[in-house]
Amino acid sequence: MSDMVETALGVFERQLGRPLEAALEVCARCGVCAEACHYFQAEPTVENTPVARGEALRRVYRAEHDFLGRIAPWWVGAERLDEASLTRLAETAFSRCTLCRRCTFNCPLGVDTPLMMRAVRAMATAAGVAPEILVMLADAAIEKGRSPEIFRDLFIEQMTDLEPELRQVTGNPQARLSVERPGARVLYVALAGVHTILPPAIIFTAAGEDWTLSLFEAANYGVFLADPGRAKQIAARIVDEAKGLGVEEVVLAECGHAYAALRWEAPTWFGGSFPFRVVSLVEKIDTYLTQGRLNLDPRAVRERVTYHDSCNMARSGGVIEEPRRVLRAIAPDFVEMTPNRHEALCCGGGGGLVALPEYEDLRLRAGKPKADQVRRTGARTVVAACENCRLQLGDLNRHYGLEVEISAVADLVVRAMRPADLNEEAVSVRAEAIAA
Amino acid sequence: MSDKSRTVLDLKGLLCPMPVVKLALAMKTIPVGAIIEATASDPGVVADIPAWARSSGNELVTLDKVADKEFRFVVKRLK
Amino acid sequence: MSVLLVSKWAALAGLVICVAGLGLRWRRSMARARPRDLAPARGSGMAGVAYAFTAGMMPWAKESTRHHWIAYLRGIGFHVGIFIGLPLVAANPWWGLLPNGPRLGLGTLLGLCAVLGAAGIVMRIREPILRTLSTADDYVAIVLVSAFLAFEAAALVSFAWMSVMYLAVGILLAYIPLGKIRHCLYFFFARAFFGQFVGRRAVIHPQLRVASPAMRAGEARR
Repeated sequence: MSDMVETALGVFERQLGRPLEAALEVCARCGVCAEACHYFQAEPTVENTPVARGEALRRVYRAEHDFLGRIAPWWVGAERLDEASLTRLAETAFSRCTLCRRCTFNCPLGVDTPLMMRAVRAMATAAGVAPEILVMLADAAIEKGRSPEIFRDLFIEQMTDLEPELRQVTGNPQARLSVERPGARVLYVALAGVHTILPPAIIFTAAGEDWTLSLFEAANYGVFLADPGRAKQIAARIVDEAKGLGVEEVVLAECGHAYAALRWEAPTWFGGSFPFRVVSLVEKIDTYLTQGRLNLDPRAVRERVTYHDSCNMARSGGVIEEPRRVLRAIAPDFVEMTPNRHEALCCGGGGGLVALPEYEDLRLRAGKPKADQVRRTGARTVVAACENCRLQLGDLNRHYGLEVEISAVADLVVRAMRPADLNEEAVSVRAEAIAA
Repeated sequence: MSDKSRTVLDLKGLLCPMPVVKLALAMKTIPVGAIIEATASDPGVVADIPAWARSSGNELVTLDKVADKEFRFVVKRLK
Repeated sequence: MSVLLVSKWAALAGLVICVAGLGLRWRRSMARARPRDLAPARGSGMAGVAYAFTAGMMPWAKESTRHHWIAYLRGIGFHVGIFIGLPLVAANPWWGLLPNGPRLGLGTLLGLCAVLGAAGIVMRIREPILRTLSTADDYVAIVLVSAFLAFEAAALVSFAWMSVMYLAVGILLAYIPLGKIRHCLYFFFARAFFGQFVGRRAVIHPQLRVASPAMRAGEARR
């Protein structure tokens, strides 16, 4: 047995808790999950079924843990792991599963195929056969946490440069875009890129929020690698920052996996809940609306708008009604995709796939069911509360000629702000800022 | 535009993490000691590129804001 | 020793193997780590578990079973047969007390369930994807269960089939911990984990959303 295989099997054994064992054991191979998967909907082949993906790992499990699998492997389909099968498994887990959980929700037994695919990702990462780009992005994020001095000054300078724009757009001469300001009530964690900083900054300012910006980005590539060590180090940057500043709330940018990671997974990595709340920007905007802290034009978004449920926000996060309440408040022609909410189709960009150029063709093909779904709504604007979904929807838009605009919730909210919240004279500046 | 020792990359319009992804892919195509000169429009690069260079063992030679929403950086392949 | 007695001993041996095998597996599963979910809940885990075992099992609860309701009901019917058939074997000493009508009715019901099981075999052979994914274990499991149901149905109609029924149940019980039929044990784990997940995160029932202590503290501080 090679070192690579031994390492992978070692990780598998450590992953093999009760939930993974149940997922491996419970499948009756009825195949009813097949059509739940967007890969299968796009291309109905055996390898695109969730059950086939699960079976790939089950064969290894049976060879190690099943009595019949050891004495008569052919009887139960057991197979010893070797380098070739590990590489195939890794390829499947990273390219043919976005960890969207749609199969689990559609399985009569509740087989958690994404849990199995995460186990494979963990094995592949430890054995050195995970996609290089994801490893590189995760390591770069960790390096940011280790050496913030290498970019802090330039980053703060960029944010200071945005302040005149923020003041002009909001008409508030006191508006600030502070970074890591001690004493702030809210720490907002954006993604790398001004498009996830300026619109939320406008909203926070309009809502009179006492907020500051994180030095770090919300994205966590360690989660895509299923590597709790890396994922924890990446999350620790924000957790330590929030603790150090003494904030009451961490508000995360519209990013599905970042929300699922910090809201739902990180407390377990750190051994307990945090001394601050973790919420998504969408939840925060919904709260502001409920509290009457934003003055929005209910007819501001005149075109037909639809909402794409990010799998991490909805199926794995429970953030389902909040974005809808916000959109209904500003877009009279809001329509639902079918199916939606916890039954929504994955766009095909999750699980880190949008960052992997080697799987671009496969990703676009697997996104066809979502593209068809968007087209059926007749919407001109598709809103998604997840950056990866927006990137994928943008690619689907171009690839399938959907002729739609892809937008974040916050962008539309800024569009709907009334002059009381926003400097009327700055409307054109605001539009440019959002477009940029 | 590129020769053996110097490659020019236009990363303008790309949102993070794509500038880093494209840069890393381009880095594989150049010999050790060669440089990449790139321009990007996403301010996220001011944090991402230095961290990537350090974690990947390459050298960030310069990183400057050359215009509004335009950043220019030079990285050298060290290994 | 009569054939019937031998077959009864075979059934008893099968039961011992089944209980011991599943017991060992249960012990092994319980010894495995169950990662604790330490994130503040957004909804009720208990409500999620209740949903997973009740409304969540209804044919209309999932897109897959709404689209394939015939296949789903076939499976449900087959499993209902198992849940009736196995306890009914234990009640065999009292079969004679049953009036003819109910006894033949039960026989007919189990016979139908056996047919549903046989239909499952046909489906598995006919559907290319299922055929590709199936192992010998898949076929043997469904054949053993369907045969048991068929022989029990026959025994209810005519006591002459009794020894065959006992033999069938003995083989079936002995096979349960060895092959895929042991999913009967893991079903409860898998559904409970699923229920916990959707419940705590308020995915299915946003109206059951609860404010965690951390959330309440956050609201109060504002």
